[in-house]
Amino acid sequence: MTDRLPVVVGVGLTPFAASRDDCNVRDLAVEAVLACMHDAELESLHAIQHGLTSYESDHFNRQMTLGAILHDTLGLNPTPNVRVEGGGATGALALRTAWAYIQSGLCDSILVYGCETNGKSISSQTANQLFALSADVDWEMMVGGTYTAFYAAMMHAHMEKYSTKREHFAHVAVRNRRNALDNPNAQKPMDISIDEVLNSRPIAEPYTLFDCSLLSDGAAAILLSTEGWAKQHSPAFSVRPKVVFTATGCGTDTMRLGDRYPNLTNFAGKREAARQAYQMAGISDPLHEIDVAELYDSYSGVEIQAVEDLGFVSQGSGGPAIADGLFDRDGYLPVNTSGGLLGRGAPVGATGIAQAIEVVQQLWESVTPERQIHNARRGLTDTHAGIGTICVVNIFERRD
Amino acid sequence: MSDIDTRILSQLEKKTAQPKYISGQDDPWSAFRQVEIITLELIQQYKHSLGKYSRFFIELENGRFLGTKCSRCQTVYTPPRPLCSKCTKITDWHELPGTGSVKTYSVMHYSSNINDDVRVQAMPMVLAYVLLDGSSTLFPHLLRAENNEVHTDMRVHVTYNQGPVQHPIHLMYFAPLEE
Ligand SMILES: [Zn+2]
Repeated sequence: MTDRLPVVVGVGLTPFAASRDDCNVRDLAVEAVLACMHDAELESLHAIQHGLTSYESDHFNRQMTLGAILHDTLGLNPTPNVRVEGGGATGALALRTAWAYIQSGLCDSILVYGCETNGKSISSQTANQLFALSADVDWEMMVGGTYTAFYAAMMHAHMEKYSTKREHFAHVAVRNRRNALDNPNAQKPMDISIDEVLNSRPIAEPYTLFDCSLLSDGAAAILLSTEGWAKQHSPAFSVRPKVVFTATGCGTDTMRLGDRYPNLTNFAGKREAARQAYQMAGISDPLHEIDVAELYDSYSGVEIQAVEDLGFVSQGSGGPAIADGLFDRDGYLPVNTSGGLLGRGAPVGATGIAQAIEVVQQLWESVTPERQIHNARRGLTDTHAGIGTICVVNIFERRD
Repeated sequence: MSDIDTRILSQLEKKTAQPKYISGQDDPWSAFRQVEIITLELIQQYKHSLGKYSRFFIELENGRFLGTKCSRCQTVYTPPRPLCSKCTKITDWHELPGTGSVKTYSVMHYSSNINDDVRVQAMPMVLAYVLLDGSSTLFPHLLRAENNEVHTDMRVHVTYNQGPVQHPIHLMYFAPLEE
């Protein structure tokens, strides 16, 4: 199977923004795909054998069957298309699906493009109600619960069990927004202090406003193929480091937090996804064998839980490790150099793809010099839906 | 109100978008910079069955709190699961006394305001995950305590109210247990 491991041919991204009211969702997809086509130095999309559309919600995009519609908009007819949805993990699950399509021999090249209009086309109140529909419609949501509260209840349990401090996760809120200062595509770069995070208005305790990630408009695209297809069609492929999509894992957990009792602090589905991906990539010591990672920081504390569940540090020690700077840009394993969901933004269907783009560009050494991590050979993306209900870990490696 | 009502409410805005996201002088979309924005309103109404979970809600009217129990592995589920997720076995209804302990919680300063039952609540409010005595899982609901005073392992009990409510889950809430 290794001879069919997908290589990354090209990547494209729109800037993420609170409002792209100069575009509808089709326009966003077109912008990202054109950027991807130019990046791969293709004249057209005609040689691409398959399309894969990644988006979460008909409610947000005000359009059903966007798979077929975007495929048509891009001029990809009559090639086949598949649409992938997996909540917050949609973009990462889309890439994992594309991995399998190429490995199976179903196609030699596949264009994965994701988009979402989660920004100001609807009020944040309506957005929260729509996100609440992805929680349990007759129980947690109907009593008035929000995703912020479900995550907050998890973090509260983590704080009580492991003595994790608000200052620990405030470090994530500060660092990821500062990383975004060096990413021209980021939605909300900010230079704020730990105190400003702690003193911003409470949303669901212990989380305050600055612990929460963004609602965004945006799109992202990645072209994957076999190495043979890439050599034949993409002039760009042979002139930059070869990046291979080497491994993928997926794990799941209950929809409701309470059904996990007594395991309330962490993401069991993420541990399972990481276990599969590490086995596939031959990784036994992830902290030392991974050079750069994009983690799913939907809330600042989630990054603490992630570094534990991905096996970078032991269960319960994520808070002090993060506050010590282990995962800062000049730390041992830099994470969220893009700014993450907190600083760069999160148009759901594009998020997992954008995470992969940051990792791939780090391996290509093509990001802005200020945020470039040197000599990175292997990168990881961590993406999940719900409160870790579907978790996906994808691994990319430089092979030159 | 009709069952579905999709309307264009007003013509909100016409403008010329600035190519603020394009670097360099050449805007490839310069001929496409006129933008018109309208406001859409979609109202959708559903007959939403509570399905095999219905008896839980119906018994709340009678002041009874029900979970389900798997006769094979003895797991008690609150909220109920009609199918045991450990054994793939159909469960039985199982009444509980309605007392329990808070295991984790969050004080919410905003909520999804998903129905009128929530909209009438004063903010902030406490979302508590309660291990009901005799259950294996945690039940999430609002805890109405003075000054939102709450702590882990705090004793609470199910309090019933007569309604009317929009969603029958609000026929109950948690309150501190005086012991
Ligand atoms: Zn059972």
